[in-house]
Amino acid sequence: MADVTVVGQGMFLRGSIRGEGDLEIRGRIEGDVEVAGEVTIGDGALIKADVTARRITVRGAVAGNLTGEEGVRLEDGARVVGDVRGASIGIAEGALLRGNVQTGHGAEGQKGRARTGAAAKPAVRAEPRKAPAVAVTAARGNGAPRRAAAAEPVERAGPPPPVVPALKKGARAALRKRSR
Amino acid sequence: MASTVIAQGMTIEGELTSDEDVVIQGTLRGKLTSKDTVNVESGAVVEADISASSLSVGGQITGNVTASDRVDLMAGGRLIGDVKASRLTIADGASFKGNVDMDV
Repeated sequence: MADVTVVGQGMFLRGSIRGEGDLEIRGRIEGDVEVAGEVTIGDGALIKADVTARRITVRGAVAGNLTGEEGVRLEDGARVVGDVRGASIGIAEGALLRGNVQTGHGAEGQKGRARTGAAAKPAVRAEPRKAPAVAVTAARGNGAPRRAAAAEPVERAGPPPPVVPALKKGARAALRKRSR
Repeated sequence: MASTVIAQGMTIEGELTSDEDVVIQGTLRGKLTSKDTVNVESGAVVEADISASSLSVGGQITGNVTASDRVDLMAGGRLIGDVKASRLTIADGASFKGNVDMDV
């Protein structure tokens, strides 16, 4: 266990983890994880981060993209919102996933930020849609609350911002039609 | 076994908050708050303010440390920063530069 890094159950990290060796996560992380070895995300773990590693095993909840050079395994109990990429990907019965999946060698090679962002769209869009819709109907004609509701999902670092205007545009058009 | 371990070769940057004990053998930059023991082992490099119930330093820390119980600076340990704790021990061979506040 000499070089296994453990983020314990009672731990909350806002920031990044990088380096060699393996990583076991049982706590909460918001930020970035980039590890050369294996990453195990235990049940009870709550992660809002992109995870990059040689191998990733998930039993907990992840909001972010998973890139496992060799492979990614989603075990029973895993809840993932984000894209999954890896040479081999396994999804066990009982695992939940919303996002794109890309298997095969080279999948993990195309890890350009822009690409990651584009691929992340569907997964991200699915969630905030409910909330703004409610907010908009409640406060029709008033721009401020709608903006506040739309701004909420932006807390996810990086790609999301372009998603929000696209959503808003559609929502706004639909609204206008309805009010006419 | 400690509940949180930052192993050698691993670098954590940011803000860490923990209810349990933490062992650092790698690198930490930012801020660490624990309600339990924090152990900075030899070879560890910490550039962070640390607050814990008790802290033992065998590695290198740059930053202010606060402990509700005690701070132990071991031989080979190196601390640059202020210490606020009700008890402080400094072993022979430790290096330390900073102020001490022992609530007297």
